[in-house]
Amino acid sequence: MTHAVKYHPGIPLLEQYVEGTLEADVALAVSAHIDLCPHCQQLCLDLSAEQGLMLEKSAPAAELNVSDMDEMLAEILAHTQLDTGQVSSQPEGPVQVHLKGKTFTVPRALARLVEQQTKWTQLGSIANAKLPAGDKRHVSLLYIDKDTAIPQHTHKGLEITLVLSGRIVDEQGSYGVGDILINTPDDTHTPRTLPDEDCLCLSVLSAPLQFNKGITRLLNPLQHLFY
Amino acid sequence: MLNLASTQRHDGTTTVQREPGMSTNDENAPEIRTGQWEDALSFVAVHQDKAAYSELFSYFAPRLKAFGMKMFGNEQQALEMVQDTMLNVWRKARLFDPSRGCASTWIFTIARNVRFDMLRKKQSRKDDISADDLWYDGNYPEQEDSGSHQWDTVLMTEKLAPHFDRLPEAQRLVMVKVYLEEKSHQEVSDELAIPLGTVKSRIRLALDRLREALDDTRS
Repeated sequence: MTHAVKYHPGIPLLEQYVEGTLEADVALAVSAHIDLCPHCQQLCLDLSAEQGLMLEKSAPAAELNVSDMDEMLAEILAHTQLDTGQVSSQPEGPVQVHLKGKTFTVPRALARLVEQQTKWTQLGSIANAKLPAGDKRHVSLLYIDKDTAIPQHTHKGLEITLVLSGRIVDEQGSYGVGDILINTPDDTHTPRTLPDEDCLCLSVLSAPLQFNKGITRLLNPLQHLFY
Repeated sequence: MLNLASTQRHDGTTTVQREPGMSTNDENAPEIRTGQWEDALSFVAVHQDKAAYSELFSYFAPRLKAFGMKMFGNEQQALEMVQDTMLNVWRKARLFDPSRGCASTWIFTIARNVRFDMLRKKQSRKDDISADDLWYDGNYPEQEDSGSHQWDTVLMTEKLAPHFDRLPEAQRLVMVKVYLEEKSHQEVSDELAIPLGTVKSRIRLALDRLREALDDTRS
């Protein structure tokens, strides 16, 4: 299982994800990938440790009102009810979706959203369920029956596809569970499923402007060593 | 608390030194003993020790405020983030697990999540992506430390040299000591006065960067 995932988000994306500066819907796809990819789980732990060290070694705020800070400290210490267990809005146990008589388990990152709402819209051998991700982008589960080619579609932005079950192939390669594909408007590809295997993916579609912002982000000082 | 701190402070080898490439501020960088914040957190967790918490607070709150100012560009929101973060540190100290990482890592992730949820709340959406969705607060199954040996020969090739030079300074330094000076991870840890775990994680990050620079299987 360790090296089963072949297509990962690049380190710059993982860095933004760990920093919390990646846009939420893209971060959701990255997070779901990480749930499926032990390699990136480890990288994210390492990157978080680096962020922690950076915080520890950073300079304190220049302007500090001492009495404000003392007041804040006193207010915090007045809380006597301490948490003993983990509180999370996450559902307990795995969340599944049912479609065409089949059952799929979704990654942890998607569990709460999928539980809230999964209404499938079916078009021939393709089905789509929009997730309540709350952003401008279209975040959905995409089901493609076996032996199906995706009709040529145009989208003006970023297209992220994360394989959750089965396999999808295109001119560039073959993508299995956990593999993440990131296509820009310049990329043309014709994804299709294999004759004997269907596919469930997470799909995130965006507008070009936001993507440009993402690309520009690569040039910032944190990543300048990369290129 | 004080007792514990002073006995360990005699051990000169555990003093954390400044590393190249890290932003530091000379006047404002007090000496930090390795394990100091982890110990403080465990005192808070076990005894609700207010002195230990105050130490954590007076070190991290001003730094979190600087972080918040950078992120929000607004003092009121920065302070709200500091308060929420430090309140979580107080209330959730029992959930801190030192085997999973440093105290600073834990505090950073709390601040990041608080900040993320503050920004989302401002956009006032109900069904929305939350920090809980994005960042798993639990243990993934343990991974074995694999794959570094197969790189030993590749690392020496000419092809890799330019990429090697472009590694972040902190990672490059560790890589030079391990692969060029052939030091053990423990020796590098002692020499640079950084935890063993940090040595290992920097090697992993550096190897992944090099791997990425060489082959293009990443999107």
